[in-house]
Amino acid sequence: MKKFLKTLFPIDIAKGLKLTGTHFLKVLGTANRRKVKMHVTQEYPEVPVKLAPRFRGRLTMLKDEQGEIKCVCCLACEKICPTQVITIESGKKEGRKTKLPTRYDFEMERCIFCEFCVESCGFDSIILNHQFELAAYNREDFSIGMLGSQNMFDLTPAGKFSYSDED
Amino acid sequence: MNPAPAMTLAQTSLMAIFQAVAVVIFIFIVVPLTTFAERKVLGYLQDRLGATRVAGHRIGLTGALNRGMWKLGKVPFLSALRGLPMFIGDIIKLLVKEDIIPDKADRAIFIIAPALSMIASVVVFAAISFYPGALFTFPKAFPVLGGLPFTGFITDMNVGLLFILGIASVGVYGIVLGAWASNSKYPLLGGLRSAAQIVSYEVPLTLSLLAPVILTGTLNFNEMTRKLATEMPLVAMPLLVVSFLLYLTCGFAETNRMPFDMPEAENELVAGFHTEYSGMKFGFFYLAEYINMIVVSALATSFFLGGPFLLPFGLHKFVMHVPYLGAPNAIWFVLKIIFLLFTFIWVRGTIPRYRYDQIMSVAWKYLIPFTLIVVVVASVIHYAA
Repeated sequence: MKKFLKTLFPIDIAKGLKLTGTHFLKVLGTANRRKVKMHVTQEYPEVPVKLAPRFRGRLTMLKDEQGEIKCVCCLACEKICPTQVITIESGKKEGRKTKLPTRYDFEMERCIFCEFCVESCGFDSIILNHQFELAAYNREDFSIGMLGSQNMFDLTPAGKFSYSDED
Repeated sequence: MNPAPAMTLAQTSLMAIFQAVAVVIFIFIVVPLTTFAERKVLGYLQDRLGATRVAGHRIGLTGALNRGMWKLGKVPFLSALRGLPMFIGDIIKLLVKEDIIPDKADRAIFIIAPALSMIASVVVFAAISFYPGALFTFPKAFPVLGGLPFTGFITDMNVGLLFILGIASVGVYGIVLGAWASNSKYPLLGGLRSAAQIVSYEVPLTLSLLAPVILTGTLNFNEMTRKLATEMPLVAMPLLVVSFLLYLTCGFAETNRMPFDMPEAENELVAGFHTEYSGMKFGFFYLAEYINMIVVSALATSFFLGGPFLLPFGLHKFVMHVPYLGAPNAIWFVLKIIFLLFTFIWVRGTIPRYRYDQIMSVAWKYLIPFTLIVVVVASVIHYAA
């Protein structure tokens, strides 16, 4: 009986229409305003995009306050990587107790941005930064090492296509 | 209503041609705007912005506008209308796209079907009245048409409503024939569903229009509109409201709109009956859907929302003698149509699609008995009042 009455009087439909209607009016009233924003659309190329704090961008190595690489070459990231894009060679340095990477290769073309490497790292020496404009014209641009313009410590220089490069 | 002066057959047909052209222009203005509104309103309902740029970020007109305004640190000028030129893009795309006819398709029927669908929805406007009487009179200086009135309706038939209902149900042939002629599984399934659905909903649709017919005692479009707006007893008002909601529900089903869009259930049937269509043939189906929306809105407006009169449901008799507001005006009619088109999009953005058996049970178990009750109550009111 209750179900029959519910079907007879479309109360749920009216509730739904009220909900979407209020959202429509809110967005309509604020679509032209800059400060108040009820909609979730980000007008990306023109307006800098706001990313979630846990957004998974490109892999980056961190340095500590003295400018020393935090990585100690435990190879945890290399082992856990599902696509095996990380290659580490370790070396020694005077005055440093732990090992030091002499080579840290990251093949971004195969990376799936799963963040396993960051989770496995016991020394918080790598993170995924917030850079997502990573497309490039050449394959070599995806091989990131410790030296050169494409290195593990800085952001990837934005490609020619990039809108944020325009200014 | 001022009676039209006596006109010769030639003058009448010439006038009708002019009016038909005017109606087609009206359709081809409203339909693209509706497609734009659909993008925008759906976006707003879902907390998005909808279409904001056309033809790319770099070279497009709106792209340049967007970029310049954002660089100045401002929200782009007329931000809500930035996507408006998109309907031009839509039209160009439909016209320029390659028109593919599948090898195994039934060629003749495949070509006829979209035209049938389109014609059935446009011809209905012959009997729809935008305004009871002359919108304007041609000045005497005009060569042939001097002194003739340009009426707000093309024909003033005795059986206008019957004509509309008869023609509107031809539209399903376009869908079913197109589906069959495609010689493919998904269109066929879509067409079959569509046939069953539209045949089912035709019954409550017609029955829900029966209440106004009983209350007014006429099938003439202008007469019905006038009597429903001005002469109804207040007792009939709740009945007419219920009748209106029933009609609107069936109208959604008739136009294959969202809560009832079984024929083109995207997640089940690719695109339903127009899977094999491309180019302007698909465009005809697309246009027909939107014109059907306008037709359903126009009928709902004239019979239940008062049409060119300001207030519906017999309430208009209280403002009859107020200057300007009391007189019928085509603007009210168009505004009400626009509101109902918005409602179409609003409902699409709110209610998810029914399952197929649910659609059928809603039609046969709930709507038809309910409309029958409404018809009985309407007769009681008619004879009591």
